[in-house]
Amino acid sequence: MKAKMFLSALFSVMAVMPLSAQNLSGRDIMQKAKDLPDGDTRYAEMELTLIKKNGDKRVRKVTSWSIDEGKDKKSLMFFTYPGDVSGTGFLTWDYDEIGKDDDKWLYLPAMKKTRRISGSSSKTDYFMGTDFTYNDMGSRNVDEDEHKLLREEERDGQKCWVIESVPVDKHEIYSRKVTWIRQDCCVPVYVEFYDKLDKLHRALTISEISQVQGFWTKQRMEMKNVQTGHSTVINVLNPQYDLKVDKSLFTVAKLEKGL
Amino acid sequence: MKRILFILLYFLVPVLAVAQESEPLSVGVKGFVDTYHALRSGADHDWMSSRSRVRGEFTISRGGAGAFISANMVYNSLLKERSGLQVREAYMWCGNEHWDLRAGRQIVTWGVADGLRVNDIISPMDYSEFLAQDYDDIRIPVNGMRLRYMRDRWNLEVVAVPVASFFELPVDAENPWSVVPRDMGVPVVMNMGSEPARKFENMEFGTRLSMFLSGVDFSLSALRTWNKMPVFSTTFDGTNVVATGHYRRMTMLGADVSLPLGEFVIRAEGAQYFDEAQTPAAGTDIPCSGSLNTLIGIDWYAGNDWNLSAQYSYKFIEDYTPLMGSTEHTHMGTFRISKSLLNNTLSLQSFAYMDLTDGGIYNRFTADYALNDQMHVMLGYDLFHAEKGMFKMYADNSEYWLKLKYSF
Repeated sequence: MKAKMFLSALFSVMAVMPLSAQNLSGRDIMQKAKDLPDGDTRYAEMELTLIKKNGDKRVRKVTSWSIDEGKDKKSLMFFTYPGDVSGTGFLTWDYDEIGKDDDKWLYLPAMKKTRRISGSSSKTDYFMGTDFTYNDMGSRNVDEDEHKLLREEERDGQKCWVIESVPVDKHEIYSRKVTWIRQDCCVPVYVEFYDKLDKLHRALTISEISQVQGFWTKQRMEMKNVQTGHSTVINVLNPQYDLKVDKSLFTVAKLEKGL
Repeated sequence: MKRILFILLYFLVPVLAVAQESEPLSVGVKGFVDTYHALRSGADHDWMSSRSRVRGEFTISRGGAGAFISANMVYNSLLKERSGLQVREAYMWCGNEHWDLRAGRQIVTWGVADGLRVNDIISPMDYSEFLAQDYDDIRIPVNGMRLRYMRDRWNLEVVAVPVASFFELPVDAENPWSVVPRDMGVPVVMNMGSEPARKFENMEFGTRLSMFLSGVDFSLSALRTWNKMPVFSTTFDGTNVVATGHYRRMTMLGADVSLPLGEFVIRAEGAQYFDEAQTPAAGTDIPCSGSLNTLIGIDWYAGNDWNLSAQYSYKFIEDYTPLMGSTEHTHMGTFRISKSLLNNTLSLQSFAYMDLTDGGIYNRFTADYALNDQMHVMLGYDLFHAEKGMFKMYADNSEYWLKLKYSF
């Protein structure tokens, strides 16, 4: 296990080290950021705080697992708070292939029922009232956007690449996004999302970036809708990588069993 | 209640002891307090419902074994007999990643329909307030066992219910939701009849094979069961028309499918009921005949927190004769539209049942506002409109309602 962690850490350093010396395109950098090692399996507890413009707060808590299957990913997530949604579960089989819809199931404990839900349209919806879309919460094929390296600049004392990404699918809710990616670890630290009128819509600030088990981990993400004043803070608690997780965890049967 | 708790503990203690001792004991408690009041919108403005309850849900588990109990403490100021402690589910389970056994009082849900029943005929319905309760409150748990064998993309489920449960119908004329006919010219007395004898040969049992594949889910089901909704025969005792419920053995073979297509999900169910009891004409025996039951639905996840759903169901009774009181062709529909606003603080929904055979509609409008993480206030209106058919008896039951719910 320790050897694997060491190799992962070594790989991540090797993956990042040469970057500053190369002439990289925007796509290359986004691909590097997407390919950052994050283990074969993951676990985390997340606290989502929804903050109204007037400061009123609501909290959602979720527990999630995920596993890689080649370039695809399966994830299972349960709400644990508040009580009225506790036990609600999402199972997602997330496909990397462009144009292939994800498979998604929703379990509603009050109804004792699992529903197959659309794997495509919900991506642009906001996740449970937060300012994050399902797309923001999941992984996205790099070629679903066209990328352009705009410049290099420092942000919060870190040297960053600044990359503009324009979605190929014009149905996306943003017309373009601009991402600041730290050059030392290839982790995004700030993202601006622009609406169809090219006005700044949402701004994502990522902080508390540290290595956990040798993997770069984003532990605090704040998405602010600058047009409404509403914001959402996600705190990632107890992240774990490369757990012994059976594939049977990512099945409808497990979704119905609950936590 | 004490007996149920005793039985659960009797079986649970050894089950938990067998579970891996290295696994920690996990205890979970959740539930809610709610109060619901409905006022008739018609001339009388009388109360249609007035009830409050505490729901507790307790889970205890260790390793692959555990137990679950959910119970309501209810005060119903209109239907006093429905006040008191009511156990909804009380079951235990054990298993591993590939199989599990669940035994006890539990809700069994089959099929993919929303608010209509084609394959989903194991857990019966509580119509004491017709459909004006939340759908999850309407389901009646059954006392049985469910064994599941699970693989990554398929499950095989076997269900056995030694003593079947049946629909609960309001046959008390004082209940605003009473099913007792009031326009027959003579008084009608209804009784639910005798449920089948509690014998081994009357056991309900079935199996379901479910596949969960990339781009499609489907299931095949088979069930040896009873008509859970009684059919009523009528006699005249000189003063009253006496309607008596009857139950007959029947078999169901069914299938269902869910097919996501972009922003849409297509759902369909089909089932053949063999020897289903049919309503007899006055003074005749209970006829039994096969019936074909189908449903197709479409869900549209339109984005921006809009959801729309429509369903159409069709039932055809084979070998139909005029001596059957049932209808040969029955058409039903549902339509749901919902929208979340204010970062999911406010949810608006309209859900309509449409009687497409005789005309008629029951439409529940709901506005649900989250005051905070725990407290919801819900306002709604139930609209009934029918001149004949299944909603006719409730044509004057349109109502405003208010519900407050505190979850913990």
